[in-house]
Amino acid sequence: MSRKTLWLVLLLLVVQAGLHAAEAEQLYYAIRSKVLSVKDYTADVKIKVDVAYMKVPLLKGILYFKAPDKMRLERDGGVSILPKKNVNLTLSNLIPTGNVTVIDAGTATEKGKTYRILKVIPEDDQNNIVLTKMWVDEANLLVMRTETTTHNDGTIVMTLEYAAYSKYALPDKVVIHMDLKDYKLPKGMTMDYEDSGKPEATEKMKGPQKGTIEIRYLNYTVNSGLSDAVFQKGN
Amino acid sequence: MTKLLQIELYKIFKKPRTYISFGIVAAIAFVIQLAMTAGGKEYLDFGLQGVSEQFDIQGKILNGYLVAYLILQSLLIHIPLLVALVAGDAIAGEANMGTLRLLLTQPISRTQVVLVKWLASIIYSIALIVWLAIVALFLSLLIFGRGDMINLKSDTFILILKDDVMWRYAGAFAFASLAMTTIVSLSILLSAFTDNGIGPIVATMGIVIVLTILSNLELPLFKMIRPYLFTTHMIGWKGFFDDPVPYRSIGKSAIALGVYTLGMLLATIAYFNKKDIRS
Repeated sequence: MSRKTLWLVLLLLVVQAGLHAAEAEQLYYAIRSKVLSVKDYTADVKIKVDVAYMKVPLLKGILYFKAPDKMRLERDGGVSILPKKNVNLTLSNLIPTGNVTVIDAGTATEKGKTYRILKVIPEDDQNNIVLTKMWVDEANLLVMRTETTTHNDGTIVMTLEYAAYSKYALPDKVVIHMDLKDYKLPKGMTMDYEDSGKPEATEKMKGPQKGTIEIRYLNYTVNSGLSDAVFQKGN
Repeated sequence: MTKLLQIELYKIFKKPRTYISFGIVAAIAFVIQLAMTAGGKEYLDFGLQGVSEQFDIQGKILNGYLVAYLILQSLLIHIPLLVALVAGDAIAGEANMGTLRLLLTQPISRTQVVLVKWLASIIYSIALIVWLAIVALFLSLLIFGRGDMINLKSDTFILILKDDVMWRYAGAFAFASLAMTTIVSLSILLSAFTDNGIGPIVATMGIVIVLTILSNLELPLFKMIRPYLFTTHMIGWKGFFDDPVPYRSIGKSAIALGVYTLGMLLATIAYFNKKDIRS
C-alpha cells in the first residue's frame, strides 16, 4: 500500500468517526429535548422494594414531579422509601444537561431488538454525573436502559419500559438497580428477638449487595402546571 | 376459691405500692413521649442513618405506633420488676406480717393458697399490661397520630403499613402478659422460700437483670445457653413486628415460658405444702 493510499484511508476513518459522533450527538439532543419536554407530571405509582436488608410491602401512592428536580411521593400519611434524592427516579435526572460530549459506542441487540449505545460525558466538572451510558431505541427516540456513574452515589442502572406515554418518553415501568452498602445496627441497641427458624446469614449475604426498586406508573397527568406548593406539603 | 381470689385482689389493690407501679409505667411513657416530641427527629435520624445514606425516607415516621414500640422496648426490664413488687410479697409479705399462720388455719388447702395468690398476681400483672397499652399505645396515638411503622432490627429494616399494625400490638400485649405470668411464678416461688417480703422482690430483680444481660451478650458461651433462659423468650412480643411474623418461634417461646411457669408453680406448691410455717 502506497503512502498516499494509507493517508486516504486514515482520512476516511477520521471523517466517518466524525460523522458518527455528529449523528450520536444529534440523537442524544433529540432524546434530551423529548425528555425535557415534560415540565411536570402526576402519576399513581406502585413501588416494590427488593433490597436484602429491607422488608417493605408494596407501596402505593401519588408521585409528583416538576422539572428540573422536584419530586414528591404522597402516601396518605404513610412512609415512602425512594432512592436518595440525587439518584432521582426520573430520566431527566440521569440525562446530563448543559454541554456534553457524546460518544457513539456502537449497537447492542437485546431480545431481538437492536439499540444504539451512547456514552454521554458532561463537560461541567461540578455535575454529580460522571458518565451516562444509554441504550437507545432510535426509531422511537426512547432510552431503554441507562448506566449512570456518579461522583457520590456509585453507579445506578435503570431499565425502562414504555407503553401509553412513550410520546413523552414517560415509562410505565422503571427498575432501578442499586449497589447497596452494608446495613448493621448494634444488637445491644435493637435487642432483637431471634427467629429460630431463620437461616444464619451466609458469607454471600454479608457485606455489600445489590438491590432493585421497581416502580410502576399508572394514570399520568402530564404538563398540568403543578404548583411548587405541592412539593412543600408534609405527608 | 372465687371468694379467696376476691380477698387476695382486695389485699393487692388496697396497698399503695400497687399503684406505684402504675405511676412508674405512666411516668416512663410520659417522659419518652415528651422526649420524642422535643427531639424525636434527631433520634430517628440517628437510628436511620444506615438506611438514609442511600434511601430517602419521607412521611410521618415519628408516629404513635413507633413511639409505643420504643416505650415497650425501654420497659423491657422494668415491667418484670414492677410485677415482682407485688408477686414477690404475696406469700413472704403475709409471713412477715404474721398473718400466714392465721390464713392457713382456715379450711383451705395450702395448694389453694398458692394458686389464689398466683392468680391474683397474674390479674395484677395483666392490669399493668393493659395500663401500659393505654399510656404507651393509645396515648402515643393520641399525641403523635397514626402512620406506617418502622421497626429497626440489627440487620433488617422493616416497614409495616399502618392498617397492619394494631393486631400486632394485640398479639404483643397478649404475649407480654404470658411473659409476666412467668415472672409472677418466679416471684411466688422465691416468696415461698422466705419470710421477708423484700428478699423475693430483690432476688427476682437480680435474676431478671442478670439473665437479660446473658440473653443479650454476643459471646459463644452465652449463645449456647441462651435458648434455655426464660428472658430470651420474654421478648417474643417483638416477633409480632417482624415480617413475616415468625409464628413458629413465637410458639416455641410461648411453650418455653409456659413450661417455666408451670414448673415454678408446681415447685412452689410442692415446697409450700411441706414448709414449716412459723409465723
